[in-house]
Amino acid sequence: MAQIPSLENAPLNLKSIRDKSERELVNLLKDIRGTKCLVIDPKLSGSVSLIIQTSKLKELGLELRHLTAEPVQTECTKVIYLVRSQLTFMKFIASHIQNDISKAIQRDYYVYFVPRRSVACEKILEQEKVHNLVTVKEFPLYMVPLDEDVISFELELSEKDCLVDGDVSSLWHVAKAIHELEFSFGVISKVRAKGKASVRVADILNRMQVEEPVNSNDVGRPEVDTLILLDREVDMVTPMCSQLTYEGLIDEFLHISNGAVEVDSSVMGAQQEGKKMKVPLNSSDKLFKETRDLNFEVVVQVLRQKATSMKEDYTEINSTQTVSELKDFVKKLNSLPEMTRHIHLAQHLTTFTSKQSFLSQLDMEQTLVEAESYDICYEYIEEMIHKQEHLTNVLRLLVLFSVTNSGLPKKQFDYIRMELLHSYGFEHVVTLNNLEKAGLLKKQEFKSNWLTVKRTLQLIVEDTDTSRPNDIAYVYSGYAPLSIRLIQQAIHSGWRPVEDILKLLPGPHLETKRSGFPSSPSVDSLHGASNGVADGRRSIVLVVFIGGVTFAEISALRYLASKEGMAYDLIIATTKIVNGATLIETFMEKLG
Amino acid sequence: MSGIAEVLVAVGDDIFLVEEDMVQTIRFDEPSVDDSEMQNDDSGNLIGVMETKQIAINYSCESALPPQQMAWCGMDSVLLYWDEDLMMVGDPVHYFYDEPVILIPECDGVRILSNTNLEFLQRVPDSTESIFKIGSTSPAALLYDALDHFDRRSAKADENLRLIRSSLSEAVESCIDAAGHEFDVTRQRALVRAASYGQAFCSNFQRDRVQETCRTLRVLNAVCDSAIGIPLSIQQYKLLTPVVLISRLINANCHFLALRISEYLDMNKEVVIMHWACAKITASPSTPDSHLLEILLDKLQLCKGISYAAVATHADNCGRRKLAAMLVEHEPRSTKQVPLLLSIGEEDTALVKATESGDTDLVYLVIFHIWQKRPPLEFFAMIQGRVLARDLFVAYARCHKHEFLKDFFLSTGLIHVVAFLLWKESWDMGINPMASKGSPLHGPRIKLIEKARNLFSQTKEHTFESKAAEEHAKLLKIQHELEACTKQAIFVDSSINDTIRTCIVLGNNRAAIKVKTEFKVSDKRWYWLKAFALARIKDWAALEKFSKEKRPPMGFRPFVEACIDADEKAEALKYIPKLSDLVERGEAYARIGMAKEAADCAAQANDGGELLERFRKTFVQNAIFDTLKMPFQGAS
Repeated sequence: MAQIPSLENAPLNLKSIRDKSERELVNLLKDIRGTKCLVIDPKLSGSVSLIIQTSKLKELGLELRHLTAEPVQTECTKVIYLVRSQLTFMKFIASHIQNDISKAIQRDYYVYFVPRRSVACEKILEQEKVHNLVTVKEFPLYMVPLDEDVISFELELSEKDCLVDGDVSSLWHVAKAIHELEFSFGVISKVRAKGKASVRVADILNRMQVEEPVNSNDVGRPEVDTLILLDREVDMVTPMCSQLTYEGLIDEFLHISNGAVEVDSSVMGAQQEGKKMKVPLNSSDKLFKETRDLNFEVVVQVLRQKATSMKEDYTEINSTQTVSELKDFVKKLNSLPEMTRHIHLAQHLTTFTSKQSFLSQLDMEQTLVEAESYDICYEYIEEMIHKQEHLTNVLRLLVLFSVTNSGLPKKQFDYIRMELLHSYGFEHVVTLNNLEKAGLLKKQEFKSNWLTVKRTLQLIVEDTDTSRPNDIAYVYSGYAPLSIRLIQQAIHSGWRPVEDILKLLPGPHLETKRSGFPSSPSVDSLHGASNGVADGRRSIVLVVFIGGVTFAEISALRYLASKEGMAYDLIIATTKIVNGATLIETFMEKLG
Repeated sequence: MSGIAEVLVAVGDDIFLVEEDMVQTIRFDEPSVDDSEMQNDDSGNLIGVMETKQIAINYSCESALPPQQMAWCGMDSVLLYWDEDLMMVGDPVHYFYDEPVILIPECDGVRILSNTNLEFLQRVPDSTESIFKIGSTSPAALLYDALDHFDRRSAKADENLRLIRSSLSEAVESCIDAAGHEFDVTRQRALVRAASYGQAFCSNFQRDRVQETCRTLRVLNAVCDSAIGIPLSIQQYKLLTPVVLISRLINANCHFLALRISEYLDMNKEVVIMHWACAKITASPSTPDSHLLEILLDKLQLCKGISYAAVATHADNCGRRKLAAMLVEHEPRSTKQVPLLLSIGEEDTALVKATESGDTDLVYLVIFHIWQKRPPLEFFAMIQGRVLARDLFVAYARCHKHEFLKDFFLSTGLIHVVAFLLWKESWDMGINPMASKGSPLHGPRIKLIEKARNLFSQTKEHTFESKAAEEHAKLLKIQHELEACTKQAIFVDSSINDTIRTCIVLGNNRAAIKVKTEFKVSDKRWYWLKAFALARIKDWAALEKFSKEKRPPMGFRPFVEACIDADEKAEALKYIPKLSDLVERGEAYARIGMAKEAADCAAQANDGGELLERFRKTFVQNAIFDTLKMPFQGAS
């Protein structure tokens, strides 16, 4: 199975977007004749692998390299750098070229910026005196479809850049990407945003529509009806909790990157030890599509049922008489590789989920979210620090503690920070400072309003039956993610009924209709199935998370979309897929 | 196509395709191509003309003298000129001139320029001929005649129509065509009327043909007017294209007509209005700015999406900077607006507009511009109040101009940030010995950290950081001493915990205790730390001794966990029974696989069987997978 999903059943034609990007890249590369070396920045190479197969790149006569500080080792006389417009990369490129010059190697250099050239980057090339040696071009890759209903803008630093460094470049990027979608699928008439960044994106999007309008005659009837923008900052509680869906758990323990997970091949039942293998995880795998959004407990049951029924078939095969029965059996056998794959994966996961430390971690998360007893949690975190458990895990819980409690009392705040520095080293003072700047770790100044938020939005759902869920809370076994509750509101009734609660959460909110375009005959409330398009498709709500979204949240949204009476298909776009650990890691910065 | 320049070169009988790094021969299979002509323009792109040799006109005339001028007249006739005698070849027609003339060939005829006149000579178009030739009975002529009868209410109209019924659409077509070629407005009208009269009886005729011709004729008649003076035939107009016509009109300052024609033909008005605006600015040097702006805006508003920036650039070029500033204010596209604002020296406004646009690239553009032009302090003052500009500058400087950054923060009073920078520098020194100029001494590092501490202590908000820096400096000193006495470079840059652990692992308990007291390490932390350190070197005796030193402040958990972590069940069993909490004890038993003892504890725990249930689940789940995998072994 390929790592690139087929996207056949996507509610929006995301394949056309991907194909366009592939074409653009191939054309850019074809522009340069002869053998050439493509030096690509490592993170970007992950995104590019979701657009075009590596084999296709090689067919173009390319040597592939990752961009590092080390000079490029190649015989090629033409070197193409395919990089995101980040300042640090420019230093690498400049030093590569200077290195070549010092060795009197003559080469042609091309720098392809993704998604667009940047003044600051070129300034560095200029100051390093290499700007006149390079040909600069752009590869406008603003988004990558991860699956049939998920788009990523591939901006993993967005949250940190905005909250810590005040660098809001990513917001322009997000607005631009949405605007690009509008060029393909029509102007989105209704916008609902919550959070500082989201409101800003909505504003930039409107500016773009003025500056470079989407002509409604060119694109026909708008396919996307509503745009919902949500800052990660609004809900930092959810990502700090451990995800309990199948896909979420895989991400928590094994880290899914670019739609695949890398595991030891022995885990998957292969003979050779120590070799890594990539397991693609997307909706082209039917069994995965069926199970990815389920609570992991249920996944184990589902797998057992399937395995038992297959086992029965297996034993009955001896008494099989007719050819058609045989045929049926063979058909079932086709799903065997998928079955084995997921049984292996699931078993591997249980080695983590059955660990005492994981169970007590869950316990603590639950205690914090339910706002039951802060003292127990405080002591637990203290002990984690003393035991020098993994720093990201400690910080994750600490952030959860601080966010639900609107900070730590001054004395505890200073004490726990100092214990942290003593245990893990003084270099982490910058990380602490970053978390403070982002408001994720702070001194308590006023009483927390988490209790009110929790109660009003019914975030804690008692008696969650994970096998027959009746609420999104099943994804966290009883906690309904705040972010998704808000989106649920936004879809069904807009912000007005929850305005009081929105005021308790960070950042402004906004609800507008974008005028000036002949919009579809719209119903104010999104309720009711009258919005179905003539050809049987439902119209679409685009949900954009600025600062990242977790797999469990995506699962919860899929659950919403599949519920009866839902008049919309949901497409989820995010700056990056995150989990608590990856999110915390973006804030980690060592002095050294 | 590859998009690369490819050059075709004809050498002898072959044609070669030449590229940057290869050459290949191209073969043409059609034998009729027996002559080819090549032109190569300077961009390297190829323009190739190939034509078959064909004799178009073969004519011999009686004159012994060669003609002075010769010109194609349309595609099928040639004009020859001798003194005062102009002859059209074919069925020869002579024209006599009293004065010398110049022949200027056009696509469909020849312009004849003399001292006093400009004439246009053209072979009469076929359609016109078929209608107006004396005695013509062509369908078109009959149709034209029918209209005449119809106007005079004569029944002959019907008769005519009936005669040409089968070729009616042809007749209509000819009338339209003839109307197009006609210069006289009355005749144009008559022909168009004839066409539309005929069209009424025609079912399968493209109706917009008449409309289109009328539209074109109106334009042609308008520019033909002596006030404008651009007479064009319909064919010339089509070849010229309306766009070019418009640009000729605006260059002749006929903006109003150009605008009307653009509107009439549904073309983009932007070119006209833009040209007009620029011309207006050039032409009104004495009009006051505000008045001129009003006049300009009035017209510019007619066209959505017009580039105000371009007009403003023109105003600036004409030396009207103030007007330019007023105009650029109206530009909606910030990518055009901001660079212009910079070029007219409106840096403040540029920064505001760039920030508003949300496009950080534009903000950078402004920052670099100002940075280059102003002295640092002035630059700092300018961006200090602008949050986004400041943050972006800091992000850039962090990556590229570190020194500049310190100056910036010092000048703007953000002392604690400078302190962080110094602290970071001290770290860089440790990682990169070159930075400390080859000296392995930690003196300079400690000095930097102390400097940072001083800066932190200047503000009230950073007492924590100040304390941390102080301790860091102290730690470095101690680590340095430890390295000196153990002669092992394993201490520097590890944390306090790690330092203590290393001491214990090395068996240097006294040093460990010294570090502990120096940094007031709490007992809680000390017990975890020491228990794990001893378990790591498997010094079980020391561990047991440690457990008996005094009653551990928070029980025996550190000991149990340290043993389980080291996978020593036997050692763990020494401490598990000492755990006071039953649940904890049960869990500990479960973790080392002693299900029975675990269950016993759980039973005693009195928590409603919750713990028991959990144990059961874990054990059952592991068993499930073992049975599941059995039949599928080897299937993957």
